[in-house]
Formats: sequence, structure tokens, C-alpha cells
Amino acid sequence: MTEPVMVSSKIHEEIRSLTESIDQMVESFRNLQNPIEESRKRVPEATMQLDQINKQTEEATHRVLDMVEQITNDAGDMVRDLTTLRKALPATYFKNRSKVRDVFERMEKAASSSQDNAFAIMDALQFQDITAQQMEHTAHLLDEVETKLHSIKGFLGGDESEAKEDIVVHRKRAFDPNARYEVSSESQEEVDNLLESVKKDHQE
Amino acid sequence: MADIKILAVDDSPTMRRIIVNTLKRAGFKDVTEATDGKDALAKMKVDNFNFVITDWNMPEMDGLTFVKHVRNTEGFKNLPILMVTTRSVKDDIIEAMKAGVNNYIVKPFTPDTLKAKISQTIDNVV
Repeated sequence: MTEPVMVSSKIHEEIRSLTESIDQMVESFRNLQNPIEESRKRVPEATMQLDQINKQTEEATHRVLDMVEQITNDAGDMVRDLTTLRKALPATYFKNRSKVRDVFERMEKAASSSQDNAFAIMDALQFQDITAQQMEHTAHLLDEVETKLHSIKGFLGGDESEAKEDIVVHRKRAFDPNARYEVSSESQEEVDNLLESVKKDHQE
Repeated sequence: MADIKILAVDDSPTMRRIIVNTLKRAGFKDVTEATDGKDALAKMKVDNFNFVITDWNMPEMDGLTFVKHVRNTEGFKNLPILMVTTRSVKDDIIEAMKAGVNNYIVKPFTPDTLKAKISQTIDNVV
């Protein structure tokens, strides 16, 4: 064989091998597309589920708040009624350790305690805002995953028209990525100390 | 102090309800709610408030942007502003103070803390 013919044959061999490799890569990409597309379609389902949990938790929290407000109002009314009744009854009823006085004191204490407990429940319901922010953060991360999977699908050569139709506009989410429900006075104390030092620095 | 007009800004309906209830329990009866900074600015145009309590993370307009807008508006430069937020990172607090926040509370807060901070803020600003 002459030298140019040998070179040409080698080139042909190289091209054939390259074509085979490309065919294999295309096949691999095709096989990759299905799981990616499947994952991409499942992400919005997970996000929707999180949004649903958030909405239901908020609704349930408001039902509890309705009851808490009812309890505090009722207890407040009771305290006021007892005060009115105390004024209307003869003072002799409340002398020393009379039974009437004991009953009044017990009822006033019970009403006041119900009110305090109800307000404590209300304070604890702040958890809903904090867990809502944590879920918004997770949903935001899922939104990002969905967008990235969408880009990968486009890169792997999916049907462009179909991909365009699938584009989801995610709603703007407001959250603190570090939101934590911590019931301790320490974090407020730390903030107060920091506020003081910032103010001092500013004054200097 | 109890007769002051307060504007409570928070996107969470739960938090607004808790803040309003806590304020009423503390004796502050005149409280208006706003859902974010944009809504708050609109309400401030038609009503006079003596005190603002605002969250940070809100859609449309966040608390920090809202505070900057307020501080750049004539007549609101000395309006007491208390920020109530989950953000407790040092840099965030410094940023809030630089924006014009007078005081800062970390969620979850106690009614005593809210009451004390309102009182402290009014004493320092007015």
C-alpha cells in the first residue's frame, strides 16, 4: 500500500471509531433524559405538597387563635363580671375568710390563670411563622433544582418546543434561610448587647 | 404611651394577629396592619402613625427597603421603628441599624420583650 492510501485508511478508521463513540454518547444522553425528565416533573409535586402543608398549618393555627381569643375574651368578661358583682354585694359578704370571699378569689384566680394560659398558647403559635419560613426556604431550593433540571434537559437535546411550554414561573418567596424556633432569652440578650455596641461605635 | 398609633407590618397573618393581640393586651388599642413594605407606605400616606413595628422578610417590599424609604421621606426621619424578625445574624442587625431601625427584636418574642422594647424605643427617640 502506498503511503497516502495508508493515511487515508487510518483517517477513515479514526472517523468510524469517532462516529461510534458519538453514537454511544447520544444513546447515553437519550437514556439519561428519561430519569431527568421524570425527576423534573416530580419536583413541582414536592413543592406543591410543601405549599399545601404551609397553607394547612396556617389555617389550623388560625383556628387555634380563634379559640384562644374566645378564651381570653370569656375570661376577661368573667373577671369584669366578678368585679361588678363584688361591688354590688354587701361588703359583709367578703369579711375575713367568708365562703363568698373564698369562692370569689378562686373564680378570679381561675379566670386570670385561663387568660394567662391562653396568651401563652398564643405566644407559642409564633412557631407557625418560623416553620413557614423554613418550608419556604426548602420550596425555594426545590424551585432551583427544577430550573436546573430544566436546563440540563435542554442541554441534552430535549424537544425545544415542549421544553418552552414546560417553563414554570416560580412565585417570589420571602424567608429567612436561617430561621429557627428557639425559645430562649439568650438570643435576645445577644442582640441587645450587639445593639448597644453598635450604638456606642456610632456615638464614638 | 398607650394612646400611640401603631403600624404593624408583617406578611404572616399569624404574626400580625399575635402582634395585634399582644399590643392590645399591653394597652395599645390603636393598631393598623400592613402586609408588606409597599402596603405600609400606602397606609402611611393616608394615616399618621407614631410607631412602626416591621418584619424583615416580606414579598413585594422587604422590611429593610421599607425602612430606607421611610427614612428618606420628609416627616418620617424620627418615626420610631422596631424591627421584629427571625434574623439574628450580627451583620443583619448592623445592616438594619444602618438602614434606620431604632430597635430590634428576635422572633419568637415574649410579650414582655415587645412591651419593654416599645417603651425603650419611644424613650430614646422622642
